[in-house]
Amino acid sequence: MIESTITLILIALFLLLIAWRRHDGSHVKGAQVGLQTLRRTLPLLVIAFIIVGYVNALEPQSLVQNWIGPGTGLQGVLIGTAAGMLLPGGPYVVFPLIAILFQSGAGLGPTLAMITSWAAIALLTVSFELPFLGWRFTRIRLGFGLLVPILVGLLGILFVG
Amino acid sequence: MKKLKIDWTMVALSAVALALAGVAWWKGGQDLALEGLRQGFQTLVSVTPMLLAAFLTAGLTNVLISKELVERWLTTSAGWRGILLGCIGGALIPGGPYVYYPIAGSLLQSGAGLGVLVAFVTAKNLWSISRLPYEFALLGPHLTLVRYGLTLIFPPLLGYLTETLFGNTIERIREAIQ
Repeated sequence: MIESTITLILIALFLLLIAWRRHDGSHVKGAQVGLQTLRRTLPLLVIAFIIVGYVNALEPQSLVQNWIGPGTGLQGVLIGTAAGMLLPGGPYVVFPLIAILFQSGAGLGPTLAMITSWAAIALLTVSFELPFLGWRFTRIRLGFGLLVPILVGLLGILFVG
Repeated sequence: MKKLKIDWTMVALSAVALALAGVAWWKGGQDLALEGLRQGFQTLVSVTPMLLAAFLTAGLTNVLISKELVERWLTTSAGWRGILLGCIGGALIPGGPYVYYPIAGSLLQSGAGLGVLVAFVTAKNLWSISRLPYEFALLGPHLTLVRYGLTLIFPPLLGYLTETLFGNTIERIREAIQ
């Protein structure tokens, strides 16, 4: 985890440097945007981590493994896909929850399916899509999009294990 | 009078947290209920430096890549070039669904094809640069790398497939929104 932290800090510093070299206050503005997002999402973030804490404390390993464990194959991938569609909120909320499920014994395939389905076909996002692109567009995109998490989950099992 | 807006994400997550606290209480009494809280805050504190860096990175990406630039690029392009530009534009565009769907809507009205729009939305969903720092921080480098690697092909592929199979429906899609 320390390596990841350092990598991210280096990337942030690099971007800060690029923004600073524009000489138009971009570096300050960027930091402000980041801070605003953090402030806005902090309550959600705290609740997400409280959930993480309880999942941790309740040790649901056998439950998780039965439903979406490494040996669950297509069933796990389908459950992961369905769960991903229902997950609410932004990445800072969803990723800690998926991470704790993975740590509690979810298989790689179901986990990948869950991330991908949240990213591509989350139902909450579709409510934003309809007014701007219409039902006809959404139907076509979702029709194809539904296959993506399932394929990604199965490919994950096949190639990465 | 100000209308009270209900944040359903907050409601849903709070309900889950309360339910889990209830289960913990039922299974292990006050001790386990407090233990869950303690572990939650401990995890949050341990990822805080990484989260700060992630929020900073996301904020800077937001400022460095302007929406106008992406929009200008995508309006005029079509065919394979359009689909690829749609993918790159989608990957680069910052912000949540309340930002990129209005942009996709205005691209639709200014004449973008179905393939370009599907590529744009799918790339935003699967290749998003501004989400990368959060994914990296919270899910770890391994999962992030595998996930990006396995989804790499889908934005151009879905753009191409939808354009080939349903490209001729774009006028009807456009008219329905107007």
